[in-house]
Amino acid sequence: MMIEPITVGLIGLGCLAILVVIGMQVAYAGALVGLMGIVVTIGARRVRDTGDFWDILEKGWEPGLKNAGTIPFSELAHYSLSVLPMFILIGYMAFHARLTQGAFYCMRMWFGHLPGGLAIATVFATAAFAAVSGASTATAAVFSRIAIPEMLRYGYPPGFSAGVVAAGGTLASLIPPSGILVIYAIIVEESVGKLLMAGFIPGILSAIIYAGSIMVRVKLNPELAGDPIGKVTMKERFASMSQMWGILFVVAIIMGGVYSGWMTPTESGAIGAFVVFMLALKNGMNKDQFLSGLAESAKTAVMIITIIWGILILVRFLGFSDLPNVIKDEITSLGWNRYWILLIILLMYAVLGMFMDAIGMLLLTLPLVQPLVIALGFDPIWFGIIVVKMVEICLITPPIGLNCFVVAGVRPDIPLGSIFKGIWWFFICDVLTVALFVAFPNIVLWLPNNMLGR
Amino acid sequence: MVLPLSDTPFAKLDRGYHAIEKALNYVAAAFLFSLMLLGCAEVLMRKLFNSPIHGQADLVEIMIPTMGFFGLAYCQRLAGHVRMELLIHRLKGRALWIFEFCGNFATLAIVAVMIFGTWENFLNAWLLGDSSMDAEIPVWPPKLIIVLGFCLLFIRCTISFFGYIRLIRHPDAEPIGVPISPTVADIAESEAEVARDAIKDDIDETRIKGSGQ
Repeated sequence: MMIEPITVGLIGLGCLAILVVIGMQVAYAGALVGLMGIVVTIGARRVRDTGDFWDILEKGWEPGLKNAGTIPFSELAHYSLSVLPMFILIGYMAFHARLTQGAFYCMRMWFGHLPGGLAIATVFATAAFAAVSGASTATAAVFSRIAIPEMLRYGYPPGFSAGVVAAGGTLASLIPPSGILVIYAIIVEESVGKLLMAGFIPGILSAIIYAGSIMVRVKLNPELAGDPIGKVTMKERFASMSQMWGILFVVAIIMGGVYSGWMTPTESGAIGAFVVFMLALKNGMNKDQFLSGLAESAKTAVMIITIIWGILILVRFLGFSDLPNVIKDEITSLGWNRYWILLIILLMYAVLGMFMDAIGMLLLTLPLVQPLVIALGFDPIWFGIIVVKMVEICLITPPIGLNCFVVAGVRPDIPLGSIFKGIWWFFICDVLTVALFVAFPNIVLWLPNNMLGR
Repeated sequence: MVLPLSDTPFAKLDRGYHAIEKALNYVAAAFLFSLMLLGCAEVLMRKLFNSPIHGQADLVEIMIPTMGFFGLAYCQRLAGHVRMELLIHRLKGRALWIFEFCGNFATLAIVAVMIFGTWENFLNAWLLGDSSMDAEIPVWPPKLIIVLGFCLLFIRCTISFFGYIRLIRHPDAEPIGVPISPTVADIAESEAEVARDAIKDDIDETRIKGSGQ
């Protein structure tokens, strides 16, 4: 009896699920299942009808091993990947460049007078800081240090203040530079530049929706807003912009460079990292901070590079087994409305997000989900933004809700329970935002479709 | 992260090997930093002097796997790789160490196999004299570094292998030589620490500047 590649594919996925659940690193679990799968599918093809399992292993072993052995080099030596280390470096250096304080100060001047003004200023300041950071948790951590004391001082309720910071942190994944969008682009083989562009407007829009919801809530329940801040003149407002130039410069380089096609994303990232590095030096980053930031950046980069080659071995096996195509055909042949299928996929991400972190979840699911989504006629760039937004929602919802834990870690005086209570309005906002992107895909696609470079 | 300070030979071996891993992670970090400098230099040369650096793109491509494999064992020791902790964090004592042992054993197996697979790949490049597309930089050095990275990871996993056996026998002993996965609370705490380190007394300054009082 001949072993069908599709059977091997299904068994492989079963093994992968077991290995991941017992806590094996996603990268190695993917590589192990991928390698064994490649060996068995190649072996089965060579042995044909005489299908004794050991025979298959023997025939498949050499070529399978050679095949998998090429992947770490051939799949990693791609120019588009090099933007990741640059973005990671920007994020770690930005900590020491005092950009957070400047952003909060400036936004406070501009939005502080509104109802719930300090909370709104915090949201926009996190959005601004997102332009130099791609990591949600890091953004939530620094703003817990800066914005929460200020909000508490003006009498904002602790749970509400903490919720604003935890939710604001999630903006970092959409607004470039965003590591997770680059990872998405690499795994589904789309243009990194286009995805980075696509994240910009949705990120800003998410911030505006957060801010709007804060105003509505303060209108409904005036106790949420603390005391109003003192009067600020227009002149002071414009003067405060000087605190923002570091961020604005990085935004101009990354957005401008990628949009115009004048620089590659990697080059924009390199110059952005250099500027942030100089700012950090100017602001007194010491040698220890520099070295530990650099070592941490390397560790994060290694982690991402490792999971990429591991998963790409799995992807090659899935390609051999034809499983992604079969799943795609089976589901499209059901003839359901494509928006129902999209809803099911999004719900699946919401559930998975309760157990796994963002990178692992995306890399394990995208090889199977992506072909289906494209077959349903959705735009891959658009889907990237939707998925990343879903992943971000998981960062603020229990049981993991990492951003809430981070805020509680910085402010042990604010109980986790009250932070989760403070967050649920933002959760509703996020669900509405996703619905908005689904209803009007051009919000996401307008910028990447009109960019000049490539 | 501070490794266990115990005085046993095993703990010393763990710490000694970690010193090597740490040094190699700095090599990876140096590559990362030079990648930044190279990117800046390329833009400068191309846009200002209209003379792009020859083979810059090739160099960038080769640097990624190099970086990724110099730091591989270090990242493993510090439990830096992505995994699903749902089950692991619910287990305690011997059951926990048995599961960790199984995961580590499977990792040892795949790493051992990858050493051979990537070695073949290196050997081909070495014997045929393969080089990159544009600048014709030989590609065997990064391919050799990949093999080396896997070997170093293999040694790290072997140390953990014995570490887990020790813990299965004495589940309550201090964990030595094995990566301990951080819980969500641990991750939150380490993020908080970095934020505290970066932003010390600046809060008051913002207050005075911004309050208008």
